[in-house]
Amino acid sequence: MRAATRVGWAFALPFTLLFLVFLVGPVLASLAMSFTDIRSADVRDPLAVTPIGLDNYARLFRDDQFVQAAGNTALVVLFGLPLTVALGLLAALGLNSGLIRFRAVFRVGYYLPVVTSIVAIAVVWRFLLQPESGLLNSLLRLVGIDGPNWLNDTNTALPAVIAMIVWRGLGFQMVIFLAGLQAIPQELYEAARIDGAGRWARFRHVTLPALRPTLLFVAVIGSIGLLQVFEEPFVMTRGGPLGSTLTVAQSVYSQFSFGNYGYASAMSYLLFVAIVLLSILWFRLLRTEESR
Amino acid sequence: MRTWTRSGALLAVAAVLMVAGCGRDAGEGTTDSAQPITAGEAKGDITVWAMGTEGEKLTAFAEDFMKANPSAKVKVTPIPWDGAHDKIATAIAGRQTPDVSLIGTTWMGEFAKTGGLDPLPGGVAEPGAFFPGAWNTAVFNGKPYGVPWYVETRLIYVNKDVAAKAGVAAAPKTWDELMAAAKAFKEKGGAAWGLSLQPGGTGSWQTVLPFVWQNGGDVTGGGTGFAFDSPQAVEALTYYESYFDSGVSPKDLPQGSLEPDFAAGKIGAFISGPWHIGLLKEQGAAGKFDLWHMPGKQKATSFVGGGNLAVFKDAKNRDGAWKFVSWLAKPEVQIKWYQASSDLPAVKAGWDDATLKGDVLLSAFGAQLSDAKAPPAIPTWEQIAAAFDTEMEKLVKTDETAANAAKAIQQKAVSIGTGA
Repeated sequence: MRAATRVGWAFALPFTLLFLVFLVGPVLASLAMSFTDIRSADVRDPLAVTPIGLDNYARLFRDDQFVQAAGNTALVVLFGLPLTVALGLLAALGLNSGLIRFRAVFRVGYYLPVVTSIVAIAVVWRFLLQPESGLLNSLLRLVGIDGPNWLNDTNTALPAVIAMIVWRGLGFQMVIFLAGLQAIPQELYEAARIDGAGRWARFRHVTLPALRPTLLFVAVIGSIGLLQVFEEPFVMTRGGPLGSTLTVAQSVYSQFSFGNYGYASAMSYLLFVAIVLLSILWFRLLRTEESR
Repeated sequence: MRTWTRSGALLAVAAVLMVAGCGRDAGEGTTDSAQPITAGEAKGDITVWAMGTEGEKLTAFAEDFMKANPSAKVKVTPIPWDGAHDKIATAIAGRQTPDVSLIGTTWMGEFAKTGGLDPLPGGVAEPGAFFPGAWNTAVFNGKPYGVPWYVETRLIYVNKDVAAKAGVAAAPKTWDELMAAAKAFKEKGGAAWGLSLQPGGTGSWQTVLPFVWQNGGDVTGGGTGFAFDSPQAVEALTYYESYFDSGVSPKDLPQGSLEPDFAAGKIGAFISGPWHIGLLKEQGAAGKFDLWHMPGKQKATSFVGGGNLAVFKDAKNRDGAWKFVSWLAKPEVQIKWYQASSDLPAVKAGWDDATLKGDVLLSAFGAQLSDAKAPPAIPTWEQIAAAFDTEMEKLVKTDETAANAAKAIQQKAVSIGTGA
């Protein structure tokens, strides 16, 4: 080994070790656990468990609560992702257009929810969504609408939680889009203008194609985040009412707390497979020639 | 994978090594027998974990113990209730436990089953000294694995003004009388809701199960191990649901509105534990409410909760640990602890003291404690309770019938099993 290589390894060693011990190790361990009936009572003697093959995975599909959680999570991705991406892009376009004064103020404003403590946000949102005294229903009453009990109604709880997720997540998307927009060479717009392209045509044929790598990035990161969504419903509704805001990550959490480590691991791996499949889909759809 | 990184340490212990083909043995919990402890003073460091107020107050409180045992040193680590269950589970798995810990009553079965708890040695505490409901929370497979430290039970808080307006003078003695009183609160007492009950959801089993017990039903029993679908249980669920169906109880009370609404007379009554005395004082409702005992059917049972003290198998100072636990369970120490922390004594003799006897509100809790019950200490209880809460929510909020809810709970409980 050359001296330089050795030095390189020496520098990489601390990270590599930590990575192996605290990430790769547990990941493999939980994969193994997902094929056993390990429970919290077995922790002092983890080798004495019974392998049960794919039983945990088969059980998932018969578990009403898990199926409901999977459905809710799918809805969160289905509505949450397009909304965050569209609104994030819109906010970025607005900020980038130079039409808006006090750009820094808006940029901070949109990004603030991303860095604010989720618990603080949830408390404020719960106040806003209160049935009697909440701001939202008070406003609705001004125009003669009797607002629902948002977080306690099975029809409105999930939409309300998704709304908060979108509001909280769009700042991150906006910052990424803004960076993407600023990397587009002005010459392209000038050339398009000379060719007689209007505002819409410039967006459609210059901005969007140039943003393809950015879109791929936000779609993948956004899908991963939304498939694993946990804190927002956990602090807003605890998964209720009647499980209408229960997500897969919350199910994993509660199965771990119940001590069903094997079953919870199986859930995690199913979620992992979903994340991989969705990411592959985005790569297929949005990959550009250069990134191939 | 932010959600489950916290389980990472645990998983690392369970480790990659897991190979196929090893059977589980009979279970450590069933074979171990309690070893005696030595006589004399406690010595050495005694490490203790305690949650919440207990964790904050115990360090100063243990001074007296250290004065009596000069060569012992009690070291308390306060830990938040939120992460406590997992922290203890991880400690047991890694065999890196403190000597003593406060353990939530409903966790006893689970931790005892791991084999990580030391069975109670003779001479530390006498079962007869404690309220039986509290003592039973520490018993797993017929053997005690700890000692009750403090208790709480549930009574019916009643707004005096509402009751007076409704013409309800005496506490109801039967289910029918309680229903009649709640209806009168709503119809004549000016309350929007007669009796606020939990409409299912987390922890509602603590309010519902007492009605099952009052009716002679129980959690366990029968050939399947559980008795959630017994006629007594179905009748109790029907009775519980009738409060919501008749519009006496709210199905979705907004969070945080119980106390102010009760103080304002919008809610006539609700069922809760001793902590509500303080909460209502903050609302300016001190002296404006009465406490009723649970109504009778076959019995007048309430729920008992609280905290137990247990010593770990991996304790470094087992002798000292049990001596400290024994000291905390002495009647005179239990009263002093009440004065320091407001935790109610788990030892019956603690209630004979003037401090508690002289307090009308608290002595009502003391009286109920002699007829208070907890679910059995089975390792899977938390999961069964969660299933129970889910079905209760369906019962209250959808057109599910009590019989179907009972059947669903029974089915889930049987498939979860007792874990023993």
